[in-house]
Amino acid sequence: MSSVLRALEDAVGSEYVSDEDFVTYAYARGMDAALPANPPEYVVKPGTTEEVAEVVRIANRFKIPIVPRGGGCCLTGGSKPIEKGGILLDTTRMHRIINIDENTLTVTVECGITWAELNSKLNELGYYTGNLGPGSGMSAVVGGGLSHHSVGGGGGAKYGTCSEHCVALEVVLPNGNTINTGSNASVYTKEPFCRFGFGPDLTGLFLGDNGLLGIKTKATLEIFPRPKYHAAKTFTIEEPSAENAAKIWLAWRKRGDLGIYDSQWWPLIMVLGLQLLLDVPPIKPWVGLQKAVFWYTMEAETEEQLEANMKIVDQICKEHGCEEMGPEIKDGNIAKWHYEEQGHWLNWHSLWGGMGPGSVPLTTEHHIAIHRVPYISQKLDEWEAAHRAELDANGGMQTGISTAILCGHTTVEVDSGLIGWDKPEYREKNLELWKSQIEMLLREGAMPYMVGEMYSKGLIDTEAFSGTYYEFLKNVKQALDPNRILSPGKFYL
Amino acid sequence: MAKMENTKKLSDMVYACSGIGDCRIAYRWAVGRYGVCPVLEHSPQFDPFYARGKIRIAKGLIEGELEPSEELAKVLYQCTTCGNCHSACHQSMCEYIELPISRFIDHTKLFEAMRADMVEEGLGPMPRHKELMEWTKKEHNPYMEKHEDRIKWIPEGKTIPQKADMVWFMGCTEPYRQPELAQAFLKILEAAGVEFAIIHPEEWCCGSIFFRTGVWGLAEELAKHNIEALKASGAKRVVIHCAGCYRTIAKDYPEHFGELPFQVVNAVELIRDLMKEGKLKPSEANVKVTYHDPCHLGRHMGIYDAPREILEMMPGVELVEMRRIRDAAWCCGAGGGVKSGFPDLAVEIAKDRIKEAEETEAELIVTACPFCVRNLKDASEALNSKLKVVDIVELLAENLG
Repeated sequence: MSSVLRALEDAVGSEYVSDEDFVTYAYARGMDAALPANPPEYVVKPGTTEEVAEVVRIANRFKIPIVPRGGGCCLTGGSKPIEKGGILLDTTRMHRIINIDENTLTVTVECGITWAELNSKLNELGYYTGNLGPGSGMSAVVGGGLSHHSVGGGGGAKYGTCSEHCVALEVVLPNGNTINTGSNASVYTKEPFCRFGFGPDLTGLFLGDNGLLGIKTKATLEIFPRPKYHAAKTFTIEEPSAENAAKIWLAWRKRGDLGIYDSQWWPLIMVLGLQLLLDVPPIKPWVGLQKAVFWYTMEAETEEQLEANMKIVDQICKEHGCEEMGPEIKDGNIAKWHYEEQGHWLNWHSLWGGMGPGSVPLTTEHHIAIHRVPYISQKLDEWEAAHRAELDANGGMQTGISTAILCGHTTVEVDSGLIGWDKPEYREKNLELWKSQIEMLLREGAMPYMVGEMYSKGLIDTEAFSGTYYEFLKNVKQALDPNRILSPGKFYL
Repeated sequence: MAKMENTKKLSDMVYACSGIGDCRIAYRWAVGRYGVCPVLEHSPQFDPFYARGKIRIAKGLIEGELEPSEELAKVLYQCTTCGNCHSACHQSMCEYIELPISRFIDHTKLFEAMRADMVEEGLGPMPRHKELMEWTKKEHNPYMEKHEDRIKWIPEGKTIPQKADMVWFMGCTEPYRQPELAQAFLKILEAAGVEFAIIHPEEWCCGSIFFRTGVWGLAEELAKHNIEALKASGAKRVVIHCAGCYRTIAKDYPEHFGELPFQVVNAVELIRDLMKEGKLKPSEANVKVTYHDPCHLGRHMGIYDAPREILEMMPGVELVEMRRIRDAAWCCGAGGGVKSGFPDLAVEIAKDRIKEAEETEAELIVTACPFCVRNLKDASEALNSKLKVVDIVELLAENLG
């Protein structure tokens, strides 16, 4: 037995360490089927913060890298080793809810809990986390969401990214020390209640870090009472639908808080594609639909408030070419499914396997300011036109925007990307085209949040960061992690 | 390089997996889902212990990046093949929305094919399964009993005909291990005046355990024999109470041998119909019960309503549902060869279900499968639970006077 294995077994117990090839192989990739499978050498499943810290100390002693992983749902290579070998630290054994505090309206959890499990427990008390994590929230964990500034699993329009509601973190640093941030940075704080104070916002250092600067072991999040009333409406929207959708969203925002919980635009090509790509169209009531789709869900504390806000919101929709479908799911009202049946965690599942077994998504999803949605849409069309021959030659790949969703104050998450085939003969070209679209988007000002391997490298390859910014990031990494223990390779660090 | 022919035949399933991992622990309370994999919590929780990891491994085996091993086989057999992962996999739970991947993967089928490949590689099944295999070859049952003793459960003085339009396929578990269930079903059939036959000594083990554990050669041998025997009996209808036998004969047999020349019905469907026709009139029971959906009856065969209708038609029976029911029901832990291969794991899973049932404050946990009854009873005893485990035929028979 190797010294590393022996040390890891001492740290977490032999049951929770494996170097079996079939175990390490199972962790060789996330949801990024176009990237090469890179098995780690060891997989460990610590059960406590102290065990995480001990694994990190062992990694430093043996100069062996660690990739922290939660649900393993990253689509851009964030939850797998960029190079073969090292330790993969699976956090999902740590999924306890430590405390639900109704006085501070916060919940403190171990970071290996899934968004869905957490919200299931909160729901019993009438609360939710507002933002419900990423679209993969039934599997993705709190730690992974906070490492990606996740949105998409529900509530993005009202609550922004999940990171915005993080009050405090417990983080194991790359040297094995453990720190508390936010209001917990002071030993005199009675309970976590606020993120900002005590000087610089060091919580922010670890949010969106992709496991580069520390391993989040506990998080305190704000919780919100789930409002009593809601509405869910789906519309067809006239062309140019990207422009109309952007105008609606901006007009809503200029009217202040209207209680919009989620809102999405589905381009015409996507609506048609869903009907044409598969033998069985995923959304049956949309069969025959020849228009783009736009929908919203809305929450309110009182019926009057709901009615009043709905009147404003619907009027704006109408002014920009929207026509409401019927009220029920059978009428095409997919918004109702999203909100009432928690379809929000399945939003993108209609795309996965969208061309049949073996088809894989190569996401280039990113954030952009609302008003730039039509522009970015046009740029993606231009990119497709320029690469159509290559896409066709590589097994007939599809590309475009699947959806765009309102998140944050004036931000839209544009879910662009490609669908290719996970076959050996296509893999190299898949990567090349994926990289090409990523680089185009970055040059057009797109802001990735799920950076993983692909976007983090793309940011450096395109020189998106100024020299001084990248130098600063490198210095931070060097100061915290001189042995390059955590997630080496991301941002080429 | 391992051949993995059975897995390769299902490679579309392997390549359809998106890898999202909802098969691990999905919660979606709006549609009654609270967790997925019953094995996971009682394992070291590495990915290969639930569906996503197994499918990734299948890909590695198909592509030759992985070789089978004893350790891998051991993990593949620690799965109850309950199918809850399938019920959680890209399922919209909405009749108007069908997510593509949900149509491509049959998890149970894939995992059984992987086991069949382990058998071909000499790495499976597990040692206890091999013992059952050897005995069944000799005595046509996996309970280490003599074949002629299959009808020992029949009360003295009773004679069951050998020929009728409807044949009761008794299975092995009830005749050899839970005669009270067979006796209860007999009482029900007699009370309703149903004409039926049994085909002993021509009835052999249905092969369920061997289909589940990848011992397909023996499973097919048993299946062929039973199909021929049932055909020869002239049966137009075959009624089965054991959920495992029912799943095997109604689903596996046609999948392996094509359409059967007789209709296969489960006892709960027959009983439900008999009650609706007024042929069974139970007395007042005055009991609060909860119902456990057996995987072989529910997720595998889609029978959720019939047992609930029976309970509703029984006067004085109050049905209180558990949190996880129907296609999100928690497995009892016994299936897929786990009860015989990993008995402690089976009981640990069953304890989870007993605790869940206790939350309903029911007096009885009613189910419709002798295997679930056995395992839930073991767990109930281990927990010193007050909850009594009964099969639905026992509850009904007891109230038929």
